[in-house]
Amino acid sequence: MNLSLSIPAAMLWFATAGSGPAVQHLIALHWPDLLIMGFYFAMVLGIGVYLKRYTRSGEDFFLAGREMTAWVAGLSFLSANLGALELMGWAASAYQYGILATHWYWVGAIPAMLFLGIVMMPFYYISKAHSVPGYLQLRYGESTRALSAISFAFMTVLMSGINMYAMALVMKVVLGWNIHFSIWVSSITVAIYVALGGLFSAIFNEVLQFFLIWLGALLIPILGLVEAGGWSGLVQRIHQNFPQGDYTHLWRTMGHFADNPMGIHWTGIVFGLGWVISFGYWTTDFLVVQRVFAARDLRAAKMAPIIGSFFKMAVPFIVILPGLLGLGLLNFKLLPESAVGPGQHSYNEVLPLMLARYCGPGLLGLGITALIAGFMSGMAGNVSAFATVWTYDLYRPFIHKGAADSHYLKMGRWCTILGVLISIGTAYVVMQFGSIMDYVQALFSFFIAPLFGTVLLGMLWKRTTSAGGFWGLLSGSASSIAMFLLVKFDHNMLAYIALSSHAKDMAENMYRALWSWMICVIVTAVVTAFTKPKPVEELVGLVYGCTKLPSEGHLPLWKRPIFWAGVSLAVFLVLQWIFW
Amino acid sequence: MDEKPQNVHSGGGGYGPCIATRDSKPRDRHMIPVWFFVGVLLLVCGLIILATGIYEFSHPPPTVLASLHPALWWGALLTLVGGVYVYFYWPKKS
Repeated sequence: MNLSLSIPAAMLWFATAGSGPAVQHLIALHWPDLLIMGFYFAMVLGIGVYLKRYTRSGEDFFLAGREMTAWVAGLSFLSANLGALELMGWAASAYQYGILATHWYWVGAIPAMLFLGIVMMPFYYISKAHSVPGYLQLRYGESTRALSAISFAFMTVLMSGINMYAMALVMKVVLGWNIHFSIWVSSITVAIYVALGGLFSAIFNEVLQFFLIWLGALLIPILGLVEAGGWSGLVQRIHQNFPQGDYTHLWRTMGHFADNPMGIHWTGIVFGLGWVISFGYWTTDFLVVQRVFAARDLRAAKMAPIIGSFFKMAVPFIVILPGLLGLGLLNFKLLPESAVGPGQHSYNEVLPLMLARYCGPGLLGLGITALIAGFMSGMAGNVSAFATVWTYDLYRPFIHKGAADSHYLKMGRWCTILGVLISIGTAYVVMQFGSIMDYVQALFSFFIAPLFGTVLLGMLWKRTTSAGGFWGLLSGSASSIAMFLLVKFDHNMLAYIALSSHAKDMAENMYRALWSWMICVIVTAVVTAFTKPKPVEELVGLVYGCTKLPSEGHLPLWKRPIFWAGVSLAVFLVLQWIFW
Repeated sequence: MDEKPQNVHSGGGGYGPCIATRDSKPRDRHMIPVWFFVGVLLLVCGLIILATGIYEFSHPPPTVLASLHPALWWGALLTLVGGVYVYFYWPKKS
């Protein structure tokens, strides 16, 4: 899923935008912009048609033949998460909360990506599992696989629909396009190129999207810093415009919930976001991990998330900085969506406003195409992950066993079309009931933290039993749902779950993830103590201690993934220090 | 890399064994590398933006810092990078 767990500003916008009277759209396109957009659409369709000849087996379609190099797997791994909703939503959050929004890109991603590459990828890759639920089947058995596969398949296709609706809304507000036109044109394009080329198509287009997003968005921070007079000039302007808040320090205001605009304590950021949520997402969400499964060998599989981590650290430059530039340079203030009146703009419009501020014809087209590419890649990623999990983890083991590979390949293609149709249906439902998005976002958070606990224990503790894995996952998920409902029905419960009555929604998500993870781990351990483990011979290739991991001692230092993980971690720590 | 297989077990679907540690050798597909497509995209976009940048000398857009001619130098950069990628990753006839 290319929606991060908490994008409150963007979510609120999608719940209300487009429902009031028509507003003048932000950007007018000219012929160079339309040329660029038209060429992009023609190219993605052409790539899908070209790649069809290379998808002759299930492994080709669902895992791109497991032939991706570290760089391709790494860039698509990052792009699968870097959708347009992320770009716009986090730029909006940066305007609202300042540099604190960067936590979701640094402490909320880098340690987890490095952990995936160095610790978890060997077991994912060596096991030759097709998916995360596939790994769970090997480690714990069918019931755990089914629980994970059903929840993932359901949520990922829902998120694809939300992604699609979000894109259509953005196009309506920013460009004045008809919502139905946007939904159907983008859906049909995605359906064609993914049904034809499978994960090959999805990955190729994610690499294209990576370049488009960087090249389309990079001009904003460059020109913005020129206008502001560099970083120090920007900081000065922000303080002039907003003298009461601290928008440019990452950790200084995290000592108390009431000291920062996010209403978060540093423990929530470090243990909630930095540990459970980010590790849960980056190591078990199949949408992103599938790209690493497609790597050509174990070293490429380990390097891919490490390569991604370097670029992830740079993403705030094109996402957070535009929000900060909006704080410092715009001569009007942006408002929460609920408070916007005629002629005013909301936080969510900060990125398109900055785009329109600096980019004329041609450059605008590049930026808008980057946003469209981000949305479409998000949809393609969700749909390809859905097709894989449905075909390999639900259809093949439970509905139609023992068929030829060509049958499952055909199922994958049809499932892609079906996934897109379900997504379109979801988009129309969300159009009618905007608050559904809040619940789908919460639904995702119910499973991701406990799933991380289940997978982590499975990989690192050979004593964990099948029963322990299943009941731990179920208990963790059920407890997360229970905590969510408790706060919904009695807001006072927030003080217990999020440790403070001052805590905001983001803090609640983080602490709920932390508690549900702990419950999953404790229940797994307790049930394990009373049940019988699998024989060690059945755990080879799945668990630390039962698997002989290939040695890298014969490689020169600069070729070892652990070396580059160390470099990435060092850069991460230096950034925390610089922006303390 | 070639490794001695330690054990065999089913690969996530319960149907047929697979080697635990050995990496399969990639098939020789003669597929056009993704970098060629990146190059084509950047080259075409770069040329369009570069042309727009030249046009803007006589018709400057109403944007902030238009005097720096961002379309011109950004279009040139994309054209250059795209051209390099297209050159180096041009599909070779076998």
